[in-house]
Amino acid sequence: MKISKLIISFISAAVILLSTSVVSFAKVVGDKIVLGAAISLTGKYSSNGVHTQNGYNMAVDRINSMGGVKVGGKTYKFDIIYYDDESNPKRAAQLAERLISQDGVEFMLGPYSSGLTKAIAPVTEKYGVPMVEANGASRSLFTKGYKYLFAVLAPANLYLDVAIDLAVEKNNGKGVTVAMAFEQDAFSQDVRLGVLDAIKRTGSKKVIDDKLPKELNDMAATLVKVKQMKPDVLVVSGHTKGALTAIRQISEMKVDVPMLAMTHCDAAKLSKQHGKNSQYALCASQWHKTLTYKDDFFKDGMTYDADFTKEFGYAPPYQAAESSAALLVFKDAFERANSFDQKKVRDALAATNMQTFYGNIKFAEGGQNVDKPMVLFQVMCDDGGKCENKVVAPTKWASAKLIHPIPSWSKR
Amino acid sequence: MSLSKNNLILYSGILIFGIAAPFLFPAFKVQLSILCVLIVLATTWNIQGGEMGYNSFGNILFYGLGMYLCASVQVGMFFPLAEWTESGGEKTFVHTPAQFFQGMAVGLIVAAVVPTIVAGLIGYSILGLRGHYFAICTLGLGVAAGEISGGIEIIGAGQGFTTPPFPDVGSLDSRGEFFYFLSFFVLVLTFIAVRGIYSTRFKLILNAIRDNEDKAEAMGIETMKYKIVGWMISAFFCGLAGGIMGGLVGYIDSTDVAFDGREMGVFMVLMAILGGKGTLWGPIIGATVFHIFKEGFWTFFLGWQYVALGVLIVVIVIYFPEGIMGWLREKYPERFGEVVDERDRKAQVELK
Repeated sequence: MKISKLIISFISAAVILLSTSVVSFAKVVGDKIVLGAAISLTGKYSSNGVHTQNGYNMAVDRINSMGGVKVGGKTYKFDIIYYDDESNPKRAAQLAERLISQDGVEFMLGPYSSGLTKAIAPVTEKYGVPMVEANGASRSLFTKGYKYLFAVLAPANLYLDVAIDLAVEKNNGKGVTVAMAFEQDAFSQDVRLGVLDAIKRTGSKKVIDDKLPKELNDMAATLVKVKQMKPDVLVVSGHTKGALTAIRQISEMKVDVPMLAMTHCDAAKLSKQHGKNSQYALCASQWHKTLTYKDDFFKDGMTYDADFTKEFGYAPPYQAAESSAALLVFKDAFERANSFDQKKVRDALAATNMQTFYGNIKFAEGGQNVDKPMVLFQVMCDDGGKCENKVVAPTKWASAKLIHPIPSWSKR
Repeated sequence: MSLSKNNLILYSGILIFGIAAPFLFPAFKVQLSILCVLIVLATTWNIQGGEMGYNSFGNILFYGLGMYLCASVQVGMFFPLAEWTESGGEKTFVHTPAQFFQGMAVGLIVAAVVPTIVAGLIGYSILGLRGHYFAICTLGLGVAAGEISGGIEIIGAGQGFTTPPFPDVGSLDSRGEFFYFLSFFVLVLTFIAVRGIYSTRFKLILNAIRDNEDKAEAMGIETMKYKIVGWMISAFFCGLAGGIMGGLVGYIDSTDVAFDGREMGVFMVLMAILGGKGTLWGPIIGATVFHIFKEGFWTFFLGWQYVALGVLIVVIVIYFPEGIMGWLREKYPERFGEVVDERDRKAQVELK
């Protein structure tokens, strides 16, 4: 069979291709500290993936231009190798492996979303690569005993339980009825667990508990139920698409509900895209520009907001802010460790206790940030139709008073 | 199955290369393991799509099923599965090395056997459909399985299922080596099985079904029986591939990792067509080229890789409609043992 010759030559060609494509970067090349990141540039998380990447890039530029990282008396600059994980956990795990074993990356930044972080964490853990992540909030990430995973954000179950507390408070301490609609993904389902805990704690009642498909484009069926059951609170979470779909259909179907609590409103640019239709929506957020935290690089939230808007042409959602904060944490840890030894950097990360424009950062045993509360903001519009997100809870940070209940559509 | 001398050299060469590969390219172990899985998927898809002429988009069902089953058995044998997956996998149980490997072994057996049975049952009911109807029906199978499994709490539902982490044995490389050799073993197994099948009457029957099913039936062949058996064989190996892939990725998500019809489901078809469907080596070559293309170009076209993939598909369809093997066959027919009568060929051209 002559065909065997063809196949042999084909295989040898493949081998040559493989062997020539071995490109190896060291962790520190010259004066550069190379970090690796798999980011969702395509696929269902692409908009938030880009927010994450912009956040990283913004901080890299800022830190590099303000003197870089000083380790062992030498100044280093940050550099990031990006790959596109296509919003797919399988791809993300593969890329983490690739970054570490092929590109020689020794320090990683996190991807966007809990699911992808769940896929990457076992890999970084195996190789002992410290990873500071800014977008994986699922609670189960922090109970696995991971030693090299550090998250600058508060866990997902804390996102919306405050909203339930708020509704109960407005109901004179009596339990409320809650309708829930959550996308079937790791993050949203974790938010759901937090809401369920809050329902139990406050003696409230869940009347609807719907699971919505990924790439949420339609939730009319749930909203029909909401119209009939008339719950006190409607909770929706499904990343950016979920937020957009919810507002679009609630306004189309004129669904009246006293409180609407959501996630990802700022990432979806709700107040800009849907204007008055998004009015009164209550949103969980890791960060808001009016919070009064400070650091040396970005000064404070308002300055970060202005600088980011100038550079990227849109206001930074919290996904960008927390991503920038991840690099501040890395810089701080490198300098305190005064070394590029992974173990030493890991220990320095664990001992982090700092304030950034994004909030205080201090890691618990499991790697989650315990020093930064969530905030709730409400979309508020003036008569001209210009809408803004204003923090309404917790009271310490509130810049406006919660409007409750939401006026019905017929009165708007 | 007899081997000629040339073939023997070829096969032993590939086998030696396969065994040496993880040591030659230690950094590429994961990609090589995935390549093995891709080849298994493409080769088994070829049994339906290539030899039998039934374009199945449903093989992803068996792959996903195998993935969930293997992981569930691996956990369920030693710990309560419901607690493992509860609240997104908050509780952590640790497998001892012995538990991990035993669980994996039993899990893989289940991951192979159950999809085979499922293929038999489903095949009995839908293999009566032909052409586009069969394709659409199987497309639905994968999508439905993804949505259903995303609602089953005990396997993690929308939160996903974290598979048991590899135990601390040997060096850092042992995980990669373990999964590579496992997937290479399954690849060899698949190849032997498929090559065996292709040298028997079974393949001729599949081809007869492809070329004219009614005529085949009229000649007394129980086509239904052969179609079902063919699908069961594919399911067996797809299940195995899925089980390995679950352990390799470490995290199972219902629609993105397990019943990943959009990626794996389409890729297996694409790879078989790229290499040349209806041939033994086509899917293998197709999967290899595709994987190298994907891994290489994905790096350079950051964010544009799907555009590049689209271009690749267009190029395949226009320039290589018969795949790489088909193209080679046309170019060098004598290498495939075909004798071309030059005068006859010219005469035909003139007739046209």
